[in-house]
Amino acid sequence: MSGPPPIPIQPYLLVSGLLFAIGVLAVLTRRNAIAVLMGIELMLNAANINFVAFWRYGGGRQMEGQVFAVMVITMAAAEAAVALAIILNVYRRFKTVNVDQINLMKG
Amino acid sequence: MIASLWHDLVRSFLAGSFWYQVAFLCFALGTVIPAALVALSRNIVHSALWLLPCLASTAGLYLLLGAELLAAIQILVYCGGIVVLILFVIMLTHGVGHPDVRVHNQQLAWGLVAAMALAGILLHLLRGEPWHVALSWAPPSDVTARLADALLRPYVLAFEVASVILLAAMIGAIVIARAERSE
Repeated sequence: MSGPPPIPIQPYLLVSGLLFAIGVLAVLTRRNAIAVLMGIELMLNAANINFVAFWRYGGGRQMEGQVFAVMVITMAAAEAAVALAIILNVYRRFKTVNVDQINLMKG
Repeated sequence: MIASLWHDLVRSFLAGSFWYQVAFLCFALGTVIPAALVALSRNIVHSALWLLPCLASTAGLYLLLGAELLAAIQILVYCGGIVVLILFVIMLTHGVGHPDVRVHNQQLAWGLVAAMALAGILLHLLRGEPWHVALSWAPPSDVTARLADALLRPYVLAFEVASVILLAAMIGAIVIARAERSE
């Protein structure tokens, strides 16, 4: 195992980039606020794959990459809880969770 | 450009060890394809369920990279917590699972263009960079112990702030989601 890495780093970055683009697609095009939130989770996952890949391919001795990934997962959990609570409240008031129908402040 | 990028990628990829490549391919496809289905599925419940294999395959990628604790956290927090929470909220907001409801807004074409442009730019950058990575794949020993060490020594402040944020988010979510009293 102390030889060269079994694969180069580029495939990991490729997966991460594609995942991020898919997350952007979900955020830009879905009407349901919950689906928009899922797109955000996909983007956070893409960033996490990058953090861990650079941690490992940077030698694996500095733990900053994994610390960042742990923090991102923590923030994702907090963000999902608050966002879903807000979505529930919006649903009670507007009877919909489609983000293009919640336009009370539109002039 | 894409073709030559693909050629470079395949050639350098095939230089590695076989079973690692097979496992990587499985997890990579298991991450990207369910993610695309999350973004494009017509049923919101199916979207949420497709999130499960996507996040589990990401945990597999962490395992391949040697971050076992992160893989476990990923399964516990994402698959066990966040997806279940999302499914709960989908079931609490009815009328979204109808097949005749439009699931994408009118910017679907532009969104596709933007996402593809972003992917193209990322692939281009990926190709242009030499990526000076460590040449030896020496297994980092006791990764979990060193992660705990890093979290509780140099990054203890961030760790404590994160726990306070989790507490604030928990209380905030309870207050926001509580049913409004009539008086």
